[in-house]
Amino acid sequence: MEDIVLENVSKDFGVFTAVDGVSLTIHSGELFSFLGPSGCGKTTLLRMIAGFETPSGGTIRLGNQDITDLPPYKREVNTIFQNYSLFPHMTLFDNVAFGLRIKKTPKAEIKDRVREMLNLVKMEDQANKYPDQISGGQKQRIAIARALINKPRVLLLDEPLAALDLKLRQHMLIELMNIHDAVGITFIYVTHDQGEAMGISDRLAVMNQGKIVQEGPPDDIYERPLSIFSAYFIGETNFITGQVKALYDDYLELVCDDGGGKSFELDCSFQHAPAVGSRVTFSLRPEKIAISRNKPRAQDDINMLKGQIEDILYLGSHTQYIVRVGKLKIRVFSQHKRVYFDDKALDWEEKVWLFWHDTDTWMIENDALEQLTEAQLSESGQLSRALKRRGS
Amino acid sequence: MKAKSRPSALEKRKNLSSWLLSLPALLWLLCFFLIPYLIVIIYSFLTPDIYDVKFEFSLAAYRQVFSGGYLRPFFLSFKLAIYTTLCCLLLGFPVAYYIARAREKLKNTLLIFIIIPFWTNLIIRIFSWRIFLSYSGVLNGILMNMGVISQPLEILRTDLAVILVMVYVYLPYMILPLYSVLEKLDFTLLNAAMDLGANEVKAFFSITLPLAVEGIFAGTLLVFIPALGAYLIPQLVGNQRSLYVGQVITYKIKNIPRNWPMASALSLTLLLLVALMLLIMYGLYRRHLARRQTQ
Repeated sequence: MEDIVLENVSKDFGVFTAVDGVSLTIHSGELFSFLGPSGCGKTTLLRMIAGFETPSGGTIRLGNQDITDLPPYKREVNTIFQNYSLFPHMTLFDNVAFGLRIKKTPKAEIKDRVREMLNLVKMEDQANKYPDQISGGQKQRIAIARALINKPRVLLLDEPLAALDLKLRQHMLIELMNIHDAVGITFIYVTHDQGEAMGISDRLAVMNQGKIVQEGPPDDIYERPLSIFSAYFIGETNFITGQVKALYDDYLELVCDDGGGKSFELDCSFQHAPAVGSRVTFSLRPEKIAISRNKPRAQDDINMLKGQIEDILYLGSHTQYIVRVGKLKIRVFSQHKRVYFDDKALDWEEKVWLFWHDTDTWMIENDALEQLTEAQLSESGQLSRALKRRGS
Repeated sequence: MKAKSRPSALEKRKNLSSWLLSLPALLWLLCFFLIPYLIVIIYSFLTPDIYDVKFEFSLAAYRQVFSGGYLRPFFLSFKLAIYTTLCCLLLGFPVAYYIARAREKLKNTLLIFIIIPFWTNLIIRIFSWRIFLSYSGVLNGILMNMGVISQPLEILRTDLAVILVMVYVYLPYMILPLYSVLEKLDFTLLNAAMDLGANEVKAFFSITLPLAVEGIFAGTLLVFIPALGAYLIPQLVGNQRSLYVGQVITYKIKNIPRNWPMASALSLTLLLLVALMLLIMYGLYRRHLARRQTQ
């Protein structure tokens, strides 16, 4: 059953288009996330669902009801605000009771339901405190209780964990999931933090420049990004460009140029088959690549590269190697799992072999690198290559 | 562990220097505030003479005040102060709210507009109102030309004119403190209230108003108390049928035979009433704060 249906929703602020023709269906009981960089339109979209902004075009439906032009107080939707927006002049009890008091609920019922809500968020012993007497995490809980007590059909969460520190954020994320399971209503979660979005969501939509770039379950988006932006924004990846040599049922053979005059061949999986002979860009996640100083035993040399370690970044749980192959720089994540106990750690300047499974090389699009901005390219270490290609 | 340490040399010097620094102000207050008030208190217990006082103890002035002889001026002054404060609050709140929500650049321009009247002398401003409101004045001219009225209205020298000019003069004193609290108000709280089902009116009364209470208190103090002792404005635009306390006090000194003790007793009574008002408001404010205190 669908809960929120967006049909071609747009929002312009003067000449700036914040949201550009978004169509989307969010199912009942789902935990759905909007993920994107700041300014991508995700918060504007949320504010339109909440009723704080009116769309410039399109319709928003809640179940069968068109809510596009309804004021916020007439929607069965409640919001958790980024800074919680607890009422500073009211006790926590009164904060949570606010929605029921507006609806003129009988006093005895208010008392029961507020207690129940405070129990749900484990704040039952703090009811008489004021918001400035509790911590950030506790404010978060009260904000959740204050919203859920109204029994909304949909709960909107606008970067709810942004103001908390890392440990608390991880803890609250799990708690949010538990609360979602307990109340069973639809949650719409907005964040720029891919870790949060991937961890918590049933499905998510990646947004960029007012548009939805890709929607789907987190693993789908991570493993099979359909655009260069989703591959770039979620997780880290290596982008490599090559030419299609041969096309098979579920994979294709590519010839790539390492920029240093040598070419290498590899197999790649794909969503839409490109034409033989066309140039394509593919994504290869750093953690999918195995790194070794010995050449792996294999029948052929496909999906295998020889390079030299240029940089080593020790990151605690894993090490990031930057390996130069010709003029390409390929990033590799290697976890500190010791399979052979006489393994000697890899060192700077060492010659290494990189290899990976066929299906981990994922083709994205023809000449897709052109879609990223220069800043994004330089972040992913691809700027010089792309600029060179644009120039030629 | 030392229970209570003696003040260090530095602390002693700090104490001494803060005393020295406040000395000029203290002397000033002593000479020009405390001593004059003592004189007023003494005068209120003396016997009036044609021009001056006779140094004979008398309670006549107070007897007259408390027997209700001056109830009307006090009543008028209170009415004027209440009307002025209410009008300033009702007119000033939307203005302060609008300025607080305006863009940063516009905010400063608007604030300057609120402050500009202070650049002109009060008496000059009151006289311009007289020209504006008078029988053959600007307002009557405009209304007659527009055909709204066929005969000039008697606005100047009415109680209405007094309230009009009072509100005009005291409005900035209400707007500025209101602005300073509304400017700090987090407007997403209103979004939160509306999200929880409150319409604009309910959101205003449950969020904006309670959070602006401190500004309302401050503005009320700044308007109500001076309005209670108003003299200049009633004198210049009001009429002689309704005399306010300030005017009565002046007449007791100006008109011969002079009655200094009566003027002094009236002044002190007004002072006591103002002090009482302050106490009541302070009590209300304390109660408001107490509700926000730790349990």
